[in-house]
Amino acid sequence: MSDVDRAELEKEITESVQRCWKCRMCVAMCPTYEGWFTQSTAGRLMAINLYIKHGMGSLEDLSNILYSCTTCRRCQDRCKELSTDCRPADTILKARQYLVRLEEAERGKKS
Amino acid sequence: MSESAKNIIPAGHLHIMENVLDKDNLTGVSEDRALWAKDLSLPKEAEYTFFAGCGYQQMKYVEGMMGALKSAGKMGLGVGKVVGITKAFKKVGVNLTNITAKIAAAKDDPYTPILVSTINVLRKLGIEVGYLHENEPCCGSPMYYAGFEREYAGHANKNYAIFRSFGVKRLIGLVPGCTSALKHVYPRFVEGYDLEVQHVLEVVAGKLKETGYRPKVKKEVKVTYHDPCQLSRYLQIIDEPREIINSIEGVEFVEPDQEQCGKWSTCCGGGGLEATHPELSERVGMRRVEQLLETGASVILSNCPACDMQLAKTLRKMDADVRVIDLMKFLDEALEPK
Repeated sequence: MSDVDRAELEKEITESVQRCWKCRMCVAMCPTYEGWFTQSTAGRLMAINLYIKHGMGSLEDLSNILYSCTTCRRCQDRCKELSTDCRPADTILKARQYLVRLEEAERGKKS
Repeated sequence: MSESAKNIIPAGHLHIMENVLDKDNLTGVSEDRALWAKDLSLPKEAEYTFFAGCGYQQMKYVEGMMGALKSAGKMGLGVGKVVGITKAFKKVGVNLTNITAKIAAAKDDPYTPILVSTINVLRKLGIEVGYLHENEPCCGSPMYYAGFEREYAGHANKNYAIFRSFGVKRLIGLVPGCTSALKHVYPRFVEGYDLEVQHVLEVVAGKLKETGYRPKVKKEVKVTYHDPCQLSRYLQIIDEPREIINSIEGVEFVEPDQEQCGKWSTCCGGGGLEATHPELSERVGMRRVEQLLETGASVILSNCPACDMQLAKTLRKMDADVRVIDLMKFLDEALEPK
């Protein structure tokens, strides 16, 4: 992954999270939420945001958190209804693309 | 960010991507995908082209694939962690695709008849469609939702060229995931994309209204409907299935709480989640089935191969005396031939 691509994705993701009101309506909407915050939409967004901005958390955990989303978009419709422009489900998808590119870059280094 | 990014993509997703890119289908099992259509004499070129999708064509193998992935997890290969699971298996002399096909071979296949039913329904309503048979590509959308954007873009462009070479102009999709990808995602990756994409429920609901045709079931039955996520929220097809169900005589239609149906219906947890988080997927499925069972219906209708499979599996596990029937199959049985 070129640095430009990475910077672009990082910018798009963090800007989306920036627009989040932290109302947590998406948490209530998330079908995978069972009590742990990182099992919910907002938790996933916080996790990727902290990783990009501060390098917090392990990539293995981040992968587990992001790939436990069902991409059902229930959160996104609720978010839209509250007139936020955060697009949480699309942002989680971008975060997955970010992980794929991180992994590609790692493989490129080895070969 | 110096930490190693090795092994961060779930093996389940990598396996599916390898299958799509190498074998042009979801499970990697090479078989004649058009077998279900052999007695239907569908032309390759027509005004409308039916897009069957891997879902129903390959669902009988998907259960086997999920089982194989799950047992890989138990063998310590870690479903969510190992990169290139097929390669890892090949090293120890096991072919994952063979396991997938073998597990499936012993079971009945309730999914491909749904494709035949769909063609029947369209024909009974006076719509003739074409079908690309063995040339129909896999839309590759699981790849997109797993984050392999570049691979997906390449695949989408390749597919568009296939559609063009057969003169396809209008597509009628059945699998919600494929249909929404072909309608909303392809235009973002394919320059000059000009295919008109409709879901079969839109076509059928429109035609039922136009003809005033009233389908009828032989025995009165209480049904509920599970909205597949990709249908209700990605394609916004919410009223059409309800219009269809309400038009059937002898059917009592009941729904869960309004925060759990239509636009707000909860996800059944099937599909991609099952490939990476099988246990979580099971619990999500149970929560959805509980909501549907509260309605007291004896039949759950749905219209997505992944939902059909997940709901049926969960009902078996919960030992509930309720059946899952695909809406197309249900409608086919209720429609008298014209």
